[in-house]
Amino acid sequence: MRRFRPTRVRLVASILVGSLGFAGVGYAASLGLGSKQLHAWRQTLTKGTCNQTSTTADDTYVQQALPTSTAGGTATTLTISPLAGAQDYAFIRFNLSGCSLPTSAGADSAVLTVRVTTAGADTISLFPVTSSWSSSTLNWNGVSSLTIGSTATGTFSASSTGNKTVTVTADVDAAIKAGTLWGWELRATSGTAIVAIGAAQNGTAANRPSMTLSYEK
Amino acid sequence: MKRLTRILGIALTAAFLSVGVASAASLGLATGKLGAGSVAVSGCTSSSLTATRNVDNNGNVTQVNVLSVPQACAGQTLAVTLENSSHTSLGAASAPVGTCTGGCTATVAGFGTVSAANVTAYSLSLTQ
Repeated sequence: MRRFRPTRVRLVASILVGSLGFAGVGYAASLGLGSKQLHAWRQTLTKGTCNQTSTTADDTYVQQALPTSTAGGTATTLTISPLAGAQDYAFIRFNLSGCSLPTSAGADSAVLTVRVTTAGADTISLFPVTSSWSSSTLNWNGVSSLTIGSTATGTFSASSTGNKTVTVTADVDAAIKAGTLWGWELRATSGTAIVAIGAAQNGTAANRPSMTLSYEK
Repeated sequence: MKRLTRILGIALTAAFLSVGVASAASLGLATGKLGAGSVAVSGCTSSSLTATRNVDNNGNVTQVNVLSVPQACAGQTLAVTLENSSHTSLGAASAPVGTCTGGCTATVAGFGTVSAANVTAYSLSLTQ
């Protein structure tokens, strides 16, 4: 009967242990364990839409010539005027509470649509409003106490009547995270004409402002 | 022959055990624990923290914010991968968690041009 020498047995065992040790190192490397991963998780998002119509809109316009007037809150059209000493600014916002979005949600896309009912060769710019206002109380004198962004979110030409769209995704995304959308101030940044857009109280539904909103939460 | 078999058996058992120990050490599991649905959990948090993202006006992701990161996570690296519905990466970035008092908001930017509309999940990790 053939006998194995202990030295040969030790050699075989060492080779086996060494090979498996290398296998362990390769396994760890393939898992990307060079740095120590302490915690990993995945957050799945829910997508949806929550389009806004006149029923959730609030709007007004304020008049420099009538600085205490709140008549714009019940007007059927919103006047925008660049005339010196007689400027008119419009304000539009939507109440997003019906969308039930938490402040951790966000807008994937938001597009505001207004309809120009009285045209003029003006460029109308939208500036984001981030402080509270109401169409029933806002007047020209009250505008100075609002927080209004200095950079226009977007513009449209009022040189023809009809629907005008402005992408407002970043503003609405920020508003969702802030908890409330306070909308935009619309004013003429070029031109000399007095123009008008349809208000939420307009008798023709197609003339009223609206906003499409796609979100994630 | 019997003796050789016994020796080889002991050697193989020892080798497998050593591989297990090596892997556990690499994963940092010596004192850690495993959390259901997660990878190794140890260190500053075991919670699935809430992430939000900001977009530009084109709807592209500009940054991801992870809310209420425990102070103990300061100095660790937060990695975020934006995934589509097939869990394919649309963009990835990482940043160190800064020091702050109380719960921190950790921000990761630099995902390239990724439309938020295509992002259906965030894959996140904290590493040392």
